[in-house]
Amino acid sequence: MTAAITANLPVFVVIAPLFVAFVLPTFARRMRLVEGLVIFVEALGLVGAGYLASIVLAQKGIPIIYRLGGWPAPWGIELEVGSLGAFFLLVIAGVSLPVALFARGNLTKEVGSKERVTRFYVLYLLLNGALAGMAVTNDLFNVFVLVEVATLSCCGLVSARNHPRAAEAAFTYLILATLGSTLVLGGIGFLYITTGHLNMGFSSQELGRIWQDNPHVVWVAISFMLVGFGVKSALFPLHLWLPDAHSTAPSPASAILSGLAIKGYLICLLKILYNVFGHTLIQAFAVHRILVLAGMVAIIAGSILALTQDELKRRLAFSTVAQVGYIYLGLGLVNTKGLTGMLFYLASHAVSKSALFLAAGAMIAATGKQSISELAGIGRKMPITMAVFTVGSLSLVGIPLFSGFIGKWYLILGNLEAGNIIPVAVIIIGSVLCAAYLFPIIRTAYFEPVADEDWQDPGLPQKISLILLAVAIVILGVLPGPFLELASRAAAEFLVLQ
Amino acid sequence: MRILLEKLMANYPYFAAVVLFTIGALTVMTRSNLFKKLIGINIMESGIFLMFVAAGNIRGGAVPILDEANTKSVYINPLPSALMLTGIVVSVSVTAFALALIVRLYKSYGTTDAHRIAEMRNEVSER
Repeated sequence: MTAAITANLPVFVVIAPLFVAFVLPTFARRMRLVEGLVIFVEALGLVGAGYLASIVLAQKGIPIIYRLGGWPAPWGIELEVGSLGAFFLLVIAGVSLPVALFARGNLTKEVGSKERVTRFYVLYLLLNGALAGMAVTNDLFNVFVLVEVATLSCCGLVSARNHPRAAEAAFTYLILATLGSTLVLGGIGFLYITTGHLNMGFSSQELGRIWQDNPHVVWVAISFMLVGFGVKSALFPLHLWLPDAHSTAPSPASAILSGLAIKGYLICLLKILYNVFGHTLIQAFAVHRILVLAGMVAIIAGSILALTQDELKRRLAFSTVAQVGYIYLGLGLVNTKGLTGMLFYLASHAVSKSALFLAAGAMIAATGKQSISELAGIGRKMPITMAVFTVGSLSLVGIPLFSGFIGKWYLILGNLEAGNIIPVAVIIIGSVLCAAYLFPIIRTAYFEPVADEDWQDPGLPQKISLILLAVAIVILGVLPGPFLELASRAAAEFLVLQ
Repeated sequence: MRILLEKLMANYPYFAAVVLFTIGALTVMTRSNLFKKLIGINIMESGIFLMFVAAGNIRGGAVPILDEANTKSVYINPLPSALMLTGIVVSVSVTAFALALIVRLYKSYGTTDAHRIAEMRNEVSER
């Protein structure tokens, strides 16, 4: 029994959340059971991801290949849990478990009735399953299907609140995201037509042989992929949907959308760029320069836009636009240090941004106030929430001892290795701007006179969830050991190909 | 010029796919009516579907069913058509969800025009 489960674990981590998602509506009247089931399946996911990561670490880089239905590769569909897959599975489980805990007993006020809460959880688990699928898939068409599942559940989560603005944000998001996934599908189509394979490994081999005969098709495929995933992961000029979508969603949904959903698309882009096109083609077509440039623009523009916002959740949403820039900058660094930094920064931002959004959600729920200037003195009324918010901010800014620092450090090292000087300056300026839009919130919260109102820290499950995320940030910052190991091994594997 | 035209004639399904894709993308970006945006998305997706299906087709190829009586040696590739079946299902669910959202927007704003909705929202938030 145990052997059967461990042998099929790569597919169980994807199927378990999907299965529970479709079972949930039958228990819609028993809220306790629904919440328990969700937390249980998230905890199982964490155990499974931890187990897979330990196997991958022990095997020294040999990935676990799982053949669906037992069919071998060019015909059947493959799942591959390598260093990257195990790394991203850990990130997904590590973020979605605290977020589910935060949502416990707390959602009815934000989304309305009990049935709507159950529907929220259904979408939440669907998103989780799709993200886990993105982490392990090794098939181009699966990427498209998982991207669509994730997109639809994200839109559902955005429209979860019964408010016209939520519907409007969800519609804009749906239209732009579908535009993005249509482009992605087009890119996959060009790859399939030229290579005749949907399996990433075979497609990459074939492409390596024939790309010089059809450089135009490769150009078109790369640009379709870049624009498609760029829209979905809110790369700067294509970010228009993000601020509305992430600030009108219920707080746990904002946390998961900003923290994880965007990272899923980035992982897909990373896989397609480095596992299918390969680093030789990336350099031959100068894609890495485009990525670095786009990243730099996004860091500066996103930070400046974030500075101008007074609404707390909107400021955090624009901050995501800036932080995505760092990840794009890292995607364009074709060396081990840069890619390690990119992966580590991705994980660090996932944890920090969800902590920030959850803390912001707790504050907004307690005070009923949206804007930063109205939150004077809240640090003394809600000490735990504000402490977690501070830890998250310090990590995003990149202060040593917090996770963001290690990511930025490796990004800078990678840039220096590639001989780029301007991006290093942009990373540092970005950190300063990040401090400029996050620290005033902390100052207002701690050092301004306390309003005479009855604001309190949220309930016990919410407190535990916030503390878990803060502890994760500090652990990643102080003892990154196995995590950094997985990231650097994944980065090295990308560069070995071809 | 003649060679270009001949190439175009030989690959007319791909040409049609590009035209459909462009029409769809332009409709999405330039129209402010929510229904028209949705229709644009659907046209755009049809373009991509057509490209896939055309890639699998071989003119004069037989249906890929193993049959003793079948004397043709060239078979069409069924995989792209099967993939597009999935694509169409996805596109239908996106359309259904978007229509549901439009109904909700119409109920709260009384219009299906994106500009009007944005104006009304700004008026409410300014007050």
